[in-house]
Amino acid sequence: MSARGRPRSLHLSHVCSSNRQQRRLLNHFISKTAPETAEEQHHPAPFRFTLAVKDNIATTGSSQPTTCASPFLSAHHSPFEATIVSQLRARGARVVGKTNLDEFGMGSHSTHSAFGAVAQQPQQTPPSQVQQQNPQTHQHDLSTPTKGASPLLSSQISAGGSSGGSAVAVAAGDADVALGTDTGGSVRLPAAYCGIVGYKPSYGMLSRFGVVPYANSLDTVGLLARGVGRIRELVVTGCEGGGGGGGEGGGGGGPLWEEQDNRDPTSLSAAARMRCVKGRKGYDDTSGWRKKKRAGAGGEVLRGLRFGIPLEYNIEELDPRIRDAWAETARVLQDGFGARAVPVSLPSTRHALAAYYVIAPAEASSNLAKYDGVRYGARDTEAASDAAGGVLYAGSRGKGFGDEVKRRILLGSYTLSSEAMDNYFIKAQRVRRLVRKDFNRVFALDNPLHERETFDLTELDESIDMEDKWGPEEVDFLLCPTAPTLAPKLEGVMSQTPLDAYMNDVLTVPASLAGLPAISIPMPVAPRKAGDVEQNTATAGLQLIGQYWDDARLLAVADAVLKILQGSSKPR
Amino acid sequence: MSCVSTADLSRYLLIGQVSRRGCLYAGSPRIAAYTLFRSIRQIRGASSHAATLAQVSARAVAATVSPLRKQLKDEARALKASGKKKKNKADNQAVPGWELTVGIEIHAQLNTARKLFSPAATSFNDVPNSHVALFDVAMPGSQPLFQPDTLIPAVRAALALGCAIQPVSRFDRKHYFHWDQPAGYQITQYYEPFARDGRVVLHARDGIAPADGDRVEIGIRQVQLEQDTAKTTAQPGNVHWLDFNRVGLPLVEIITRPQIRHPATAAAFVRKVQMLLGSVDACVSGMEAGGLRADVNVSVRRADEAGTGRLGTRTEIKNLSSFKAVEDAIIAERDRQIAVLEAGGVVEGETRGWSLGSTETRRLRGKEGEADYRYMPDPDLGPVVIGEDLVSHLASSTGVLPDAEVDSLMDTYGLSSKDALSLMLLDDGGRIQYFYNVLGELERGLGLAGASDQRHARLAANWCLHELGKLSDLSSDLCMTRDGECRIPSADLAAILSHLHRQEITARVAKDLLWGVFRGEVSVGGVAQAIDAGSLWFHEISEQDYSRLADAVVQGEDRVMGEFLRFKQGKVKAYPQGKLMFLVGKMMRAGPEQQMDPASAERVLRARIEGVYLPALVAS
Repeated sequence: MSARGRPRSLHLSHVCSSNRQQRRLLNHFISKTAPETAEEQHHPAPFRFTLAVKDNIATTGSSQPTTCASPFLSAHHSPFEATIVSQLRARGARVVGKTNLDEFGMGSHSTHSAFGAVAQQPQQTPPSQVQQQNPQTHQHDLSTPTKGASPLLSSQISAGGSSGGSAVAVAAGDADVALGTDTGGSVRLPAAYCGIVGYKPSYGMLSRFGVVPYANSLDTVGLLARGVGRIRELVVTGCEGGGGGGGEGGGGGGPLWEEQDNRDPTSLSAAARMRCVKGRKGYDDTSGWRKKKRAGAGGEVLRGLRFGIPLEYNIEELDPRIRDAWAETARVLQDGFGARAVPVSLPSTRHALAAYYVIAPAEASSNLAKYDGVRYGARDTEAASDAAGGVLYAGSRGKGFGDEVKRRILLGSYTLSSEAMDNYFIKAQRVRRLVRKDFNRVFALDNPLHERETFDLTELDESIDMEDKWGPEEVDFLLCPTAPTLAPKLEGVMSQTPLDAYMNDVLTVPASLAGLPAISIPMPVAPRKAGDVEQNTATAGLQLIGQYWDDARLLAVADAVLKILQGSSKPR
Repeated sequence: MSCVSTADLSRYLLIGQVSRRGCLYAGSPRIAAYTLFRSIRQIRGASSHAATLAQVSARAVAATVSPLRKQLKDEARALKASGKKKKNKADNQAVPGWELTVGIEIHAQLNTARKLFSPAATSFNDVPNSHVALFDVAMPGSQPLFQPDTLIPAVRAALALGCAIQPVSRFDRKHYFHWDQPAGYQITQYYEPFARDGRVVLHARDGIAPADGDRVEIGIRQVQLEQDTAKTTAQPGNVHWLDFNRVGLPLVEIITRPQIRHPATAAAFVRKVQMLLGSVDACVSGMEAGGLRADVNVSVRRADEAGTGRLGTRTEIKNLSSFKAVEDAIIAERDRQIAVLEAGGVVEGETRGWSLGSTETRRLRGKEGEADYRYMPDPDLGPVVIGEDLVSHLASSTGVLPDAEVDSLMDTYGLSSKDALSLMLLDDGGRIQYFYNVLGELERGLGLAGASDQRHARLAANWCLHELGKLSDLSSDLCMTRDGECRIPSADLAAILSHLHRQEITARVAKDLLWGVFRGEVSVGGVAQAIDAGSLWFHEISEQDYSRLADAVVQGEDRVMGEFLRFKQGKVKAYPQGKLMFLVGKMMRAGPEQQMDPASAERVLRARIEGVYLPALVAS
């Protein structure tokens, strides 16, 4: 277990510099920017906000390896900086540290990390009790989930995954903004669990260059913050007063949505960006959308908007408190703010999760093939040879990866094998198209990446009302929960089967499969009953999903809805 | 024969730059020769669990109880086979009663400035690991950047192979673990290659097996783009050094249909593909230099099974690096398979290796050791869309293909097909360019452009091919460039040939001058001065002197003169040319050195015999 032991000590040396003792127990940072290097650091722009960076995004700071929470990369210092980090530094970000995650982004609770599980602060636990915890308890042997209740874990709550460290950094006030990656919900889920905002942009908007890929066709860089405003400013409206300009990312304080990155082949070209913006509101001032919103006033942007309530998202496993809060939010938006809540059907939803867990592991098995102990990671020279030529890969890989990563590599290797390819990978890609088609059908806006499709009304669920003979009413956004449950206790998570954990992603993967922008905002839920001993995190995640490249409006609307949920906007 | 170089064409098509060196035979200078050892696959080969022919057949025989009669027959055959001397290759193209089927995969390095998916430069034998981008070593977080320049040589190659260019093609990942492949997968085009359905026509002059007749057509199933791997250099003590300069270099893989029936035809096909790729400047170098390598799939079936349409089980022989190896390996593998089948055994579908100079293929790995490559579309790379305009431009600028050029060399200049082909194959197309350069200079010097008599062209071809070849065993010593220049400047060879053509110097002097230029003893442009300095001009003796010499040698040769008389009288049909040349030889020895032309001597002697001596003999 030396492979596990080494990163652990590495972790401690970085994190002990934190003077806030109980934070250490949250285990949300893998490395923190040392104060002296912070001063030596070249700053392209004056300070505006603190930034935590998920540790699967490349940074070049001398105190910041890019580990992906994997033993293979525990000492990997990237020779280059990710585009998104350069872009944010050019807009006044100061990187405070690299945050913990599920190894390579694979997980839903940030427990599958070589650096130990992340926890969010239990709200009802006195700090003294927390301090008694031995940090080593984070160092769980993940291969054998503990069934017996560990008293030390009993009060800790899952931060969600895989960007759990980033979410906790924002929730605990260590960073104003955090970078995460969202492949199937890895930004939105931890945001929902931690009661903050998590935004996944349209695929191709923010550069992935420097993001260690998990599943390239699904991976997006996401942003986490306590409110929507900062995210909106960075992505859509641009930082006021410029950012000092001239950063490596170029553009200084300009909005991120404009910037193509030539080093990322999936970053939309400037021409495609302009084409996408046509027919979209909120990207420039002419539509009046920005001004309307900037006034910020009590949700008038919501007037006349149609929010789709996807029937298939009302799953059996949905916590009744979340179902109630969801329905209540829809009612408030409709009754108090002139919006309309429209039931819609997305029939392919039930297959989306299965498709996701075929496609993502398939791409992961390919992406992780490079970690073989030749160039990356430690080579196991003792095991018997398993390759012509006498070099060993299986031993190195077997020792180097955590269990969840190994599970997904095996899953992906199987679904790509010549005998299973047609039945799994190809079918999953078909499902993916159906998911996208479903979304295109319910949104009023067209998807600029595809030809307009015609839809067969017979495919629709019978419960959907027809607006006219052409079909049901089309909507502007989808309104749904982010996760089926509130943040569970870590203890319970550890005893879950992998399949249970995969279930958490059921409401977030459809938007990922379709490449659509989505955001999770905190939504208060009522305590189940008086004297409930269960953890009573007061918020769940409310998810808004928009049509492709409708990010500007999505963020404006999310901002308004969040203000209503927080009670600062009153119905008229 | 205008053939615009790929580099110039790339600049024009992609950046809009027009080459300023717009001459007819423009081409880019390149490193003429380099050696690239594909040691990696040899390493794989060396580690195989070799199963010899003997073991295979022994196992097969043991497994099946063969009747005594058959056993005796087999033993007799084996005895015959072992006692017999190795067959001449030309006689070994077919085995009676058996039909051979061969398909070939050729990998060729494309002639581009950058790698397939990174802007790192392509290089050969440069400082190891000096041309490596982040993506080339699969640095976590790096991404592939397709370099459109690679399409130009690739499409030219596919057009030269008669393929249909696909408007949309895609890249797939082929997964296997090896240290020479840092990403754990190779990016290739498995599902949707960029070119399909081509054909290559082979003529008798290309060296196909006589049984294939005058011409045979080989179908190309597809041509695909893919990445090369890193170069491994084995060090003592089981240490391997990796040079990532080669990783990611663009290759085309050319896959034929299983339509080749004879070993010689297979070798001719590979040779022809190399010539085709060279003629369109798509490929950096030929097979001998390591820029081209072939895998062959071999199967046999009994001749009476040919009608069933089912082929025998095939084996693949990997990584053949010469034309000879292609032919020899196919013969050896065919014979091995036939021996296995005749012994009642079964041919296993497996991968085999071949080392130069051996007589048997050896087993590398069986089907059970075959990796499942788990092909997956690369999610970072979009489709490659090739416009019809690009294809038609490249088709129109491709120049004359080799077959047309060979025909033209034979028709216009009267060269033999062998000489024409040799000129085109040597120095990766540099030699033929050199021939055109010399010919151009020669015609200018002689004022002969467009002359109907092509004696000077044959002279130039002869010297460019044979006399130049005598200078050194290794054609690389000439340092021939693709532009057609070498250590013998074309202008200097043209000057020598011009004097020779005008009979201002003798052939022997001309050869000495060629050596002088080769060794640097004759300065560039100094052919005439060298002749002056050495007093090497040919001062021919007069007609009278020739006549006197002729009269002298005829004396006492009555028997020889009798031969001429018999011809004159019609008693023999053939003119006694041998006798005449015998007398010319005597003349040359009797006369002054370096001042006589054998042709003049022959002419005068013949005239004297016809005009003076025969009438005298008849009269007497």
